[in-house]
Amino acid sequence: MACTRRGFLKMLGAGALCLSLSQFGFDLKEAKAYARSLKIEGAKEVSTICPFCAVCCQVIAHVRDGKLVSTEGDPDFPVNEGSLCAKGAALFTMYTNEHRLTRPLYRAPYSDTWVEKDWEWTLNQIARRVKEARDKDFILQNEQGQTVNRLESIFSMGTSHASNEECAVMHQALRGLGVVHLDHQARV
Amino acid sequence: MTNHWIDIKNSDAILIMGSNAAEHHPVSFKWIMRAKDAGAALMHVDPKFSRTSARCDFHVPIRSGTDIAFLGGMINYIINSESWFKDYVINYTNASFVLAESYGFEDGLFSGYDAATRTYDRSKWAFEWDSQGAPVRDFSLQNPRCVFNVMAKHYSRYTLENVSAITGVSPENLMKVYEIFCATGKPNKAGTILYAIGWTQHTVGVQNIRASALIQLLLGNIGVAGGGINALRGEPNVQGSTDHALLYHALPGYHNLPLAQWQTLGDYQKANTPVTHIANSANWWSNRPKYVTSLLKGWFGDAATPENDFCYGLLPKGEKGADYSYMYAMDRMLEGKMRGGFIFGVNPMNSFPNTNKMRAALDHLDWLVVGELHNSETSDNWRRPQSDPAKQKTEVFLLPSAHRVEKEGTISNSGRWLQWFDKAIEPAGQARNFADMYVPLINKIRELYRTEGGTFPEPLLKLNWTEKYDAGEWARRINGFFCKDTEVNGKVYKRGQLVPSFVNLKEDGSTSSLNWLYTGSWTEEEGNKAKRRDTTQTPMQAKIGLYPNWSWCWPVNRRILYNRASVDMNGKPWNPEKAVIEWKEGKWVGDVPDGPWPPMADKEKGRLPFIMHTDGSAQLFGPGRLDGPFPEHYEPAETPVAKHPFSKQLTSPCYKFHTSKFDAFAQPADPKFPIVLTTYSMTEHWCGGGETRNVPNLLEAEPQLYVEMSHELAKEKGISNGDGVLIESARGAVEAIAMVTIRLRPFTVMGKTVHLIGMPFAYGWTTPNCGDSTNRLTVTAYDPNTTIPETKACCVNIRKIDTLTEIA
Amino acid sequence: MPKTFLIDTTRCTACRGCQVACKEWHDLPANQTKQRGSHQNPPDLNPYNYKIVRFHEHLDENNNVVWNFFPDQCRHCLTPICVDIATMAVPGALVQDEQSGAVLVTEKCATLSPADAKAVADACPYNIPRYDEKTHMLTKCDMCIDRVSAGMQPMCVKTCPTGAMAFGERKEMLALAQQRLEQAKKRYPKAHLVDPEDVSVLYLLAEEAEHYYKHAAFG
Repeated sequence: MACTRRGFLKMLGAGALCLSLSQFGFDLKEAKAYARSLKIEGAKEVSTICPFCAVCCQVIAHVRDGKLVSTEGDPDFPVNEGSLCAKGAALFTMYTNEHRLTRPLYRAPYSDTWVEKDWEWTLNQIARRVKEARDKDFILQNEQGQTVNRLESIFSMGTSHASNEECAVMHQALRGLGVVHLDHQARV
Repeated sequence: MTNHWIDIKNSDAILIMGSNAAEHHPVSFKWIMRAKDAGAALMHVDPKFSRTSARCDFHVPIRSGTDIAFLGGMINYIINSESWFKDYVINYTNASFVLAESYGFEDGLFSGYDAATRTYDRSKWAFEWDSQGAPVRDFSLQNPRCVFNVMAKHYSRYTLENVSAITGVSPENLMKVYEIFCATGKPNKAGTILYAIGWTQHTVGVQNIRASALIQLLLGNIGVAGGGINALRGEPNVQGSTDHALLYHALPGYHNLPLAQWQTLGDYQKANTPVTHIANSANWWSNRPKYVTSLLKGWFGDAATPENDFCYGLLPKGEKGADYSYMYAMDRMLEGKMRGGFIFGVNPMNSFPNTNKMRAALDHLDWLVVGELHNSETSDNWRRPQSDPAKQKTEVFLLPSAHRVEKEGTISNSGRWLQWFDKAIEPAGQARNFADMYVPLINKIRELYRTEGGTFPEPLLKLNWTEKYDAGEWARRINGFFCKDTEVNGKVYKRGQLVPSFVNLKEDGSTSSLNWLYTGSWTEEEGNKAKRRDTTQTPMQAKIGLYPNWSWCWPVNRRILYNRASVDMNGKPWNPEKAVIEWKEGKWVGDVPDGPWPPMADKEKGRLPFIMHTDGSAQLFGPGRLDGPFPEHYEPAETPVAKHPFSKQLTSPCYKFHTSKFDAFAQPADPKFPIVLTTYSMTEHWCGGGETRNVPNLLEAEPQLYVEMSHELAKEKGISNGDGVLIESARGAVEAIAMVTIRLRPFTVMGKTVHLIGMPFAYGWTTPNCGDSTNRLTVTAYDPNTTIPETKACCVNIRKIDTLTEIA
Repeated sequence: MPKTFLIDTTRCTACRGCQVACKEWHDLPANQTKQRGSHQNPPDLNPYNYKIVRFHEHLDENNNVVWNFFPDQCRHCLTPICVDIATMAVPGALVQDEQSGAVLVTEKCATLSPADAKAVADACPYNIPRYDEKTHMLTKCDMCIDRVSAGMQPMCVKTCPTGAMAFGERKEMLALAQQRLEQAKKRYPKAHLVDPEDVSVLYLLAEEAEHYYKHAAFG
């Protein structure tokens, strides 16, 4: 077996014993203290993109067993050449910190608290609200008698965080509803 | 961006103005530094000495809101010093067009102004037309009414003395920038202007950009490598979401929102399809009907037929002149005219101006749907400080959204590159991407209409929709399909196959595309081009850092827009060392040219370079803007001065504003609010901070709200570094920690000392003890063209306080 | 041949990609910090920050603003005094990896008495090691020895957007440093390399070290 330096450190880190350790001239205990195994070793590399500014640095996400292990800049991407700024460098903990919302939440009128709900209930409720507003407020004709088919009492704000495909879905849906108050971050 | 990130390295002079590139687009500095390595001059013109300034050759402090004066002075310098690029200006711009007598300008107002409506009759800003309907042109530029001479006269008032008096920039500093940047008016030199929201967020925002366009056209810097006007776009997919028009005034692909006055598709197409009488103008928008019909086919599928106007009648129609933007939506909300709505991936209760108004407005909603990663000042507005939830009626649905590494699809970077990202991990908990919220929601609404009926269900029921969202499928829908078997260049495409290029889109309903700009991004022949990772280049492309095989770029993989302006009449590059395209042996090489036609020397087939303009020429005179054909200096809506040297018109005669009880304004030179406030972000936080305040490693680096101020102001106010202070405007008050620095200095403006302070807007109350929205101070005055608020300049006062309640 | 960093401060924009990337790679938790009238946060190196960017502003002789950025980290001295001091108390508490030249804290470090640990930290000419009260360990940059052993660059170097940081064989880095120095001198006549004979982290400064940080240079 080829006991490369990298392999050697990895084995120490993993607690495995290489045969005849003394042949390397190392004091095992000392070396072991810093010979952490490479945390991305064997992880799958997935190509993604930093979600902040529109430089859109490409990023490699290291994934093991469906879990994010680390992120770093994609050295092949000609724009960022592997580099990232503070925000891009913080992607890993952005996904692993405790602040994320993970369930649909509902706040009832005059309530002082959030309640967890499931998606089915939540979307059914929203669908009902949208339809009620649309049925009541839809403007078929303006004051001049021109057909306008618009809905002014519902709005959509955002989202430059959406992918192009999500934007296409949203624009089509909102115009289908007749929404005209449609705006996003290009304006702030 | 007209160009792209890597192209910045080709510049000889880089003017960063209205941008803090090193902090807000840090990786752009990779390419800015490469230009510097090659000898480029780097200049930063900005109120504050920032991390950008630190790496530039020099920094020029400027009072916020006076960019047009600064740039107008540069235009005047270019003309007086004859630095302009004559072949370029005469042949490629409308410098030679002769203006009609109806155009005029006097004491700050252009002709056609109506004070009652604060609007102009823009028909006054016309050219003289010949008998064929083409503009009269004088290529000798002798006619005193030709655009060049009228422009020269307009900016002759922008003397060093006048500009210095109002901007607070010393004449020496003005000359330093003017001389260095204008040296790029030579054929073999290129200068680039990098800007961001420091230019757009003003009541004259659009005209700030227009002024830079005038400069870049006069210097021949548009279309060339290392040139351009480069908007460093902020949000991750603000480019793509603008292309796909999550904006009230447009449909995907830069088509106007249908208006009530255009009742039929024919009306719409006629009104929105320009006609040129200049023989060698490509007038690309003459193709618009093909794109609009294909969009309708994409939206309504087989239900869209020639007989029913391709379902055009089902689309909502706006009223002419009506404004449905953010700011107007919020104002209508405050008036109780809104029932509910969707706020996805934006945090208006922190990032909109005059936040006290915005927070009060949101209380009037019956229901609100928020799609977010974290609780935000918006989702939790009902429990904000000093608010009693028991009195808040709004029902809120907070939907956990998936984030970038948890989904797949494409985004478009600032350089218009279409980049695909793969899904790395499953969304956190039950989080979903936005489309997986909208698709089932619309299906539920459709089902309700099917079973219960209701008002005008047709547009919903006829939508070419889906049961389950798939990013790939929608990327292909965006590209577009043939709706019937079609032969293109001898090859037969079956119904349902992908359209190879937007030149194949048709007006007859035989093609679909959700955005013509993206047609060609996913083809039968080459598949999903957004996934391409090939760095192959020709030696010519390598010289300027062009990577035509990495991802794909709209339009038609053209990496530098207006590149036909980078060559002379014969198709030879102005700068052979950094050629973008070149006409060689009867064909173009290099980048994808702006259209296939031969160079202009070919009198029959050649075309003018600015193909998106009806008359083919770039617009030094730009009659399309609502507030004037030439940029003119006006003070911000809130200004520390009562007059300026250019006219009696103190502020923009057209800027928009609201008049609710929350929309208070300081008087000009108001002694109660003598200090200019500008707002900004920083590397470590993101816009309103909703995402980054929830990343502990970023919050650690920039934990709390600060206000940067000069030592002079601090001394005047008895403030020491690190003290708690209160900043007050006519609209609100904000607590912050004083950061006293030499990086800000007092300005001398119109003979008096004017202090300027700066604050980030990334902090909000949902993150404990970090401070709350800076935008409680900012002003609800807007650019008349875009309704972008003037968050970069307002007037405030500041004082030391002993007890802080928002920061601990 | 030991490895060497080059940190060319004339190219640094203080984006703090390095500072944050270091934390992320090492899974270091965040500190609760406060705004104290400075962008420099955390204010100092600490057990959870092996690398911080220091900010220093002053006016030059022409009254121009100068804002210097100093990404501070362990210099991995060629003859590390910290190793010598630690060895006197607990052999092997700190070691120098022969192959990379990295100065590393081992788990034996936890057996140093607090006084000995303080002596080791105080001996550092660049004020680098910090004592973690919870683990009784000295903490500092480990050169990303795991990455370097695997043939990769340290995370801070990988992350740097502007080329302010480079990492490689000492001979190559010395050559690059000389080249950069000559370039920098054209604009900054006082540009110099800090203690290049003694350290594995070569700082290129545009002016006197005092305008960066009091421990930027030794002596």
